[in-house]
Amino acid sequence: MSIIGKNIPHDSAIGHVTGESVFIDDMPFAKNELIVDFVGSPYAHGELISVDTSEAEKIEGIIGLYTYKDLDGINKFGPIIQDEHLLVEHTATFMGEPIVVIAGETRQAIAKAKKAIKIVMKELEPVFTIDEAIKREQYIGVPRFIIRGDVQSVFKTSEHILEGTFINGGQEQFYLESQASIAYPGEDNTLVIHSSTQHPSEIVQVAASILGLQQNQVICITKRMGGGFGGKESQACHFAVMAGLVALKTKRPARAVLNKDTDMMVTGKRHPFQNNYKVAFDKNGMITALKVDLFSNGGAAADLSTSILERAMLHSDSAYYLPNVEINGRVCKTNLPPNTAFRGFGGPQGTLNTENIIEEIAHYLKKDAYEIRRINCYGVNDRNITPYGQIIHNNVLPEIFDELIYSSDYTERLEAVKEFNSVSKTHLKGISLSPVKFGISFTTKFLNQGSALVNIYLDGTVQVSTGGTEMGQGLNTKIRQIVADEFSIDYETVRIMATSTEKNNNTSPTAASSGTDINGSAAVVACQAIRDRLSEFAAQYFSSFENGITKAKEHIVFKDNYIFDNRLPDNKIAFKDFVVLAYRERVSLGERGFYQTPGVDFNRDTGKGNPFLYFTNGAAVSEVLIDKFTGELKVLRSDILIDIGESINVGIDRGQVIGGFIQGMGWVTGEELKYNEKGYLLSHSPTTYKIPNITDVPDIFNVNFFKNDTNIVNVKKSKAVGEPPLLLGISVWTAVKHALSCVSSGKRINLSVPATNEEIIMAIDQFEEIPIKIKVLEY
Amino acid sequence: MSKSRDYILLYINGKKTKIKDDLAFKSLSDFLRYEKQMVGTKIVCSEGDCGSCTVVHGKLENDKLNYKIVNSCIKYMYQLDGTHIITVEGLKLNGCLNPIQESMVKNHGAQCGFCTPGFVVAMTAMFEDKNKLTQKDLKDGLNGNLCRCTGYESIIKSGMDVDASKLTYFDQMYEPQQIIDDLKEIKQIPIFIETSEKKFFSPVDLKSACEFKALNQGLTIISGGTDIGVQINKGMRDPNTIMSTSAIDSLKEISVKDEYLVIGARVTLSQIEAFASELYPAFYDILKWFGSPQIRNSGTLVGNIANGSPIADTTPFLFVMNAQVELSGINGVRQVNINDFYKGYKSLDLNNDEIISKISIPLLKDNQKLKLYKVSKRKDMDISTLTAAFLMDENQGKIESIKIAFGGVGPTVIRLKKTEEFLNGKYLTEENILQAGQIARDEITPISDVRGSKDFRLKLSENIMKKFYFECLEEEQVICQ
Repeated sequence: MSIIGKNIPHDSAIGHVTGESVFIDDMPFAKNELIVDFVGSPYAHGELISVDTSEAEKIEGIIGLYTYKDLDGINKFGPIIQDEHLLVEHTATFMGEPIVVIAGETRQAIAKAKKAIKIVMKELEPVFTIDEAIKREQYIGVPRFIIRGDVQSVFKTSEHILEGTFINGGQEQFYLESQASIAYPGEDNTLVIHSSTQHPSEIVQVAASILGLQQNQVICITKRMGGGFGGKESQACHFAVMAGLVALKTKRPARAVLNKDTDMMVTGKRHPFQNNYKVAFDKNGMITALKVDLFSNGGAAADLSTSILERAMLHSDSAYYLPNVEINGRVCKTNLPPNTAFRGFGGPQGTLNTENIIEEIAHYLKKDAYEIRRINCYGVNDRNITPYGQIIHNNVLPEIFDELIYSSDYTERLEAVKEFNSVSKTHLKGISLSPVKFGISFTTKFLNQGSALVNIYLDGTVQVSTGGTEMGQGLNTKIRQIVADEFSIDYETVRIMATSTEKNNNTSPTAASSGTDINGSAAVVACQAIRDRLSEFAAQYFSSFENGITKAKEHIVFKDNYIFDNRLPDNKIAFKDFVVLAYRERVSLGERGFYQTPGVDFNRDTGKGNPFLYFTNGAAVSEVLIDKFTGELKVLRSDILIDIGESINVGIDRGQVIGGFIQGMGWVTGEELKYNEKGYLLSHSPTTYKIPNITDVPDIFNVNFFKNDTNIVNVKKSKAVGEPPLLLGISVWTAVKHALSCVSSGKRINLSVPATNEEIIMAIDQFEEIPIKIKVLEY
Repeated sequence: MSKSRDYILLYINGKKTKIKDDLAFKSLSDFLRYEKQMVGTKIVCSEGDCGSCTVVHGKLENDKLNYKIVNSCIKYMYQLDGTHIITVEGLKLNGCLNPIQESMVKNHGAQCGFCTPGFVVAMTAMFEDKNKLTQKDLKDGLNGNLCRCTGYESIIKSGMDVDASKLTYFDQMYEPQQIIDDLKEIKQIPIFIETSEKKFFSPVDLKSACEFKALNQGLTIISGGTDIGVQINKGMRDPNTIMSTSAIDSLKEISVKDEYLVIGARVTLSQIEAFASELYPAFYDILKWFGSPQIRNSGTLVGNIANGSPIADTTPFLFVMNAQVELSGINGVRQVNINDFYKGYKSLDLNNDEIISKISIPLLKDNQKLKLYKVSKRKDMDISTLTAAFLMDENQGKIESIKIAFGGVGPTVIRLKKTEEFLNGKYLTEENILQAGQIARDEITPISDVRGSKDFRLKLSENIMKKFYFECLEEEQVICQ
């Protein structure tokens, strides 16, 4: 019986519940190990005049102090555009940007050193907001567009047009384990870096380049992360390289583990966006033309911002067919830490902007927003081409809409909500459905490759190591299941090894929800190659003149830990015994599998192509209760229906769906990044930055999978699940907007993301004042 | 001063541990992780907000070990004398998973695993009191633990799915008698530890405490340490001289006496809950939101008062109740009305030799209506944007007298005297309340900060008046029906 689709506990579950799983900072300190820390810029924008470390050098326990002058390679890097410095040379571009790396024997010594280092800087005027960046024309990358049809001519003739501006705030990844790395020096200037990273290969590449090494001198190993969520895709690198620098200079192990406050203050977050839109529609709410100008706040360096903007643009259709559409996008350059990947990677921002427009249309036409969603939804046989020209095959969105509306009792509950709002003096309710149609594949073509190393040992046990990294999402569990399934052996026989660049080189980041897709597929390739060789040998082994069994590879079957020729199934031999025979016949029992996602390509200059292998689809209905006087928000019930193809592990996928939803809910409700006027992050720890708590989980929470066995293009007919459910959290925000629409007396509702209690109260307050006001962005 | 000792004695996972010198000044989480390589206990925030460092804290109470969860990142070793600490490493049963751990594995309660030990410890401790947990129990009991991966649903499910037949209590896992005997033996001996940089004193009587305070200006008194621990971890404070009040038995009393609830300085917020639920239900609700179970198990009401924060959740309640603060000094005790206790931002009416020994809260009278509010970004485990307390004597819709106190709207908690004056003697009508809201708005001087803008707080002060009114109205209607 196949192990695929089984509800198997997480690969590390026992280690996790006993505290025995080892994270970076759990590794025992070596006797001579050094602690790595840094001093950063006191200004968000400033010119570095001088750095004096002479006093700090004298402190007992301080072993090394390094500035950019100590870097033997090139102090410039970046995953897309190389515009970032590891250590400031002349100009600091965000608060806390590292200037001096400190290596010390104790934390106390480092604390003293931090105070003793004298940094003289000239403060320059910073830019924090998108408005200000636009005014100064400070951008990263070139303008991008996706255009179909002719919006302008529709706008000229359309009866109904709405225009507006929509703002969403950023979001801290808030992985529980802060950025962490340990570097061990080896012979011949080699380094082994253990890092909590989603992208070990990037650490190899950047460390080599900055430290003046060859890439074959650096190995990066990732056992696991205590959460990543995108925050460790490109930004684990900085601290890993700092550890590498110290290890290389001192020939001692070096540990760089950030505390939560520093981590939150100096690393990038989900991008805030400020978008202008203009939409034309008919009296039924059918959209005839949509123009959106997306502006993201990229922070001080490019990082992954241009790709994130691209995904936001590619998701500006949300789940709707847009006959005439113009999507423009720009990344604004500001003096915040470079914003970076966060689960959804721009997809949530693009989708949310359009969902707000849907709410606006509904409010304007005095219709139920779901009606607007349903009539604009992509079709199955027509109205199924995206603005960038990709045809949506096997579109299940209309079915998902209908099924969820029915199963969640949407219609009856909507009436009950309206009734409640007409009576209650103290509270408001809202209910809303929001969809997700998430494109799966990296939009950068070359990243769509995976590799896996599979080795079989002589007791029949298997080790597998892929380029993918484990951050809690269950990748390793699924890989084990896939490998066990390929050989039809017990799951327990397969062991997943730490991700290491020594086993798989030039790996892609574990990102874009693609971990299982590309690495699982690569594992299948490796297993099949081994199986092929074993089958060849088995055909020989089982062939017999007496029984009339000719040597025929295609008759060899791997089943339930045995191998046999299906013409004589009783003559079977255990997998573990057979591999010994194969070994003695000098059959290779190891293979590196390689996979490239077929058929994906996107031309970002023309805004056309097939960026995605397929889409993961779903929808959520959420109902909220709001205290009119305090703005306190409670999600009363959420119903989720999501299409993730044929699930490899339902328990793990369910966890991804619910975790993603709650994280999305946090982004649109309570998670607020507040800075002071100097660009200092005020909400830099859980006391001031509020991620959802256990009490915020809806009391009624129905999560179901939509049945879909059509996704033959992906491994085991599964679909990627990492990011898509985050977008379902948007239903909570649209429900808040719906609640407010019930009492706004027809006035437009100025509600940004996040809808904190303050945002809600101030929105209610505005009903009596100005109908629409474009709010100045608080970066 | 009676004869003292120079060490801290505690048990960790059933093992006797003596702590001296510099080690006494380490946080428990650092001690476990970096001195003992017991790395299952994780550190994330170092401020008692995420629960990843949760451990079980067994305290000697009436010759029994009473096990409660606390945050080990804000517990310093000097606070742990006479306790039995159980960490995640100490939860297995004969080398096998305990039923809570089994359920967490089976129900996918862990994803990345970093918060998991904290959840497992907290959940295991919950089963000391109950052998079946509901969704509500779990939400109440685990709101001091943050998880970013699971969305909590699988953790709740794990908690509800624990196999009760396999539950084992801490007293069964760790034979208590030897521990109790050992801890009792040293209990009455004061502790004095001095290193080249720091001094720690733990007296067993109030008089010694006052004398030590008088002699050591600028000393830091630690009670639960839930705020001071954070300040130390974040480098905002580095106290050289520390005194703990935890060994002074006379401060541990809570009882109802002569129309007052009397709460000693060492009574934790969780200990108050049982009294509050009967005597002041509104205050009980506020206590539940005050902080996590971990914080309430450590923090004290008197600590909250002594801290003097304008956003302290308990203070507005004490203001409208005219609570009496008892100050003990070398020459005796004096009582101060809490309304006169605060002189400015974190500035108190307290002499050099005095410590706060008790707080006495008048009991509610039959005709009195008490309502308390806390507005924060997230309802649970969040510091307030605004807090408010109303105490009203009402007679057939007429306000005989009303007391209103707000927190978070100025440097100290304040009474809204003008608003009170306006409402006294008036009928409780929407119109009067709207006007009162305008007056309240003018009486306060809020600022903008990370928890809310000035405008928001001004708006809230009006809104809270309305909320008070409508809640009273709804209650009336229920009574009428």
